[in-house]
Amino acid sequence: MCELCEKYGDKGRWYLNPKNYARPLYKKVEKGKEKEPMILEELRGPFYYKPLIELKDNPEAFEKMKEGYSKYHETMGGQVVSLDDAKKMVEIAHPIARIDCVCRRATRATLEDGEQRPRSCLGLGVGMFRWEEWPERYKGGVEFLSTEEAKEHIEHWHKRGMVITIMTFGTPYIGGICLCDYPDCLAIRVRLDYGIKPFLLKGHQVAKVNYEECTGCGDCVQRCQFGAIKMEVTTKKSNIDMTRCFGCGVCVYACPQDAISLIDREKLPGLKEEW
Amino acid sequence: MIPQIEIDKNKCATPYECKKCLQICPQAIFAVAPTKVERFKETAPEDYEVQAVFKDKCVLCMDCIKVCPTGAIKIKVGGS
Repeated sequence: MCELCEKYGDKGRWYLNPKNYARPLYKKVEKGKEKEPMILEELRGPFYYKPLIELKDNPEAFEKMKEGYSKYHETMGGQVVSLDDAKKMVEIAHPIARIDCVCRRATRATLEDGEQRPRSCLGLGVGMFRWEEWPERYKGGVEFLSTEEAKEHIEHWHKRGMVITIMTFGTPYIGGICLCDYPDCLAIRVRLDYGIKPFLLKGHQVAKVNYEECTGCGDCVQRCQFGAIKMEVTTKKSNIDMTRCFGCGVCVYACPQDAISLIDREKLPGLKEEW
Repeated sequence: MIPQIEIDKNKCATPYECKKCLQICPQAIFAVAPTKVERFKETAPEDYEVQAVFKDKCVLCMDCIKVCPTGAIKIKVGGS
């Protein structure tokens, strides 16, 4: 079973449990204990992994330090979710605001200014009312969205190839729904390239190809952010390695034949412990 | 062997405005971030820094060195 569901799910999927949307995002700072704003820590997120990456030539030390990073991400991490589940989430969360992707800003210095380049990420919860205290973070404002607008926003980006992930700010408090791609996304990257699992868990589903329907067009292959799909040269069918699949569903919407479907991870004994 | 990639902050004054190395890198190994933030105030362009983060992914194509307008990037491999 998904560890987060076990701890915070109340017998369902943890991110569909309304309790996990109810904690204040920013705790009040006690007087005299004012420290560096959390926002700076977040903006400087990628730099945090430098000491670990420096150890890449020394596998033993690398693994040892990795444990510490994994421990940290148990309090600040996320999971891949399907479009259907993301739509259920925005029905629970309130308010919902469209904000800049902090990862894309750091890795490619792109601006999502809200006009030509719509902000791709969604911030959830009361913390959004305080977002404008930090102009640095968004260059021009947050946009509050209705539930329907949020659904459209997620669908728009997902169908263009973005992976939907959720992020916690003090697990299990859910603070955001992100629209991600590799290599911009820090969570996908740190999980795939450095193996820090709690930063981004695999989703509750996995994708499976129906070989009867697949025509071998290859549209799905180029979409996968996780390197799980390839074209089998001899059978001329798309092949998904389900042990690598994160269940994001991007390939499902790329397929013109509707030949790919998402099935529940926990119904497959070989994958149900694979997060 | 992980290359050592140093960026001279004195030469690289406003990395967020320039962003040439960040966008040319095929392996997206750089990251840019402010060095400080203040409530209700935008960070000045001078208060950003760029660092090479995902250095193990560098393939030593040297595109960043070629594109940098101020010659701020230095890459060393091994002891050389």
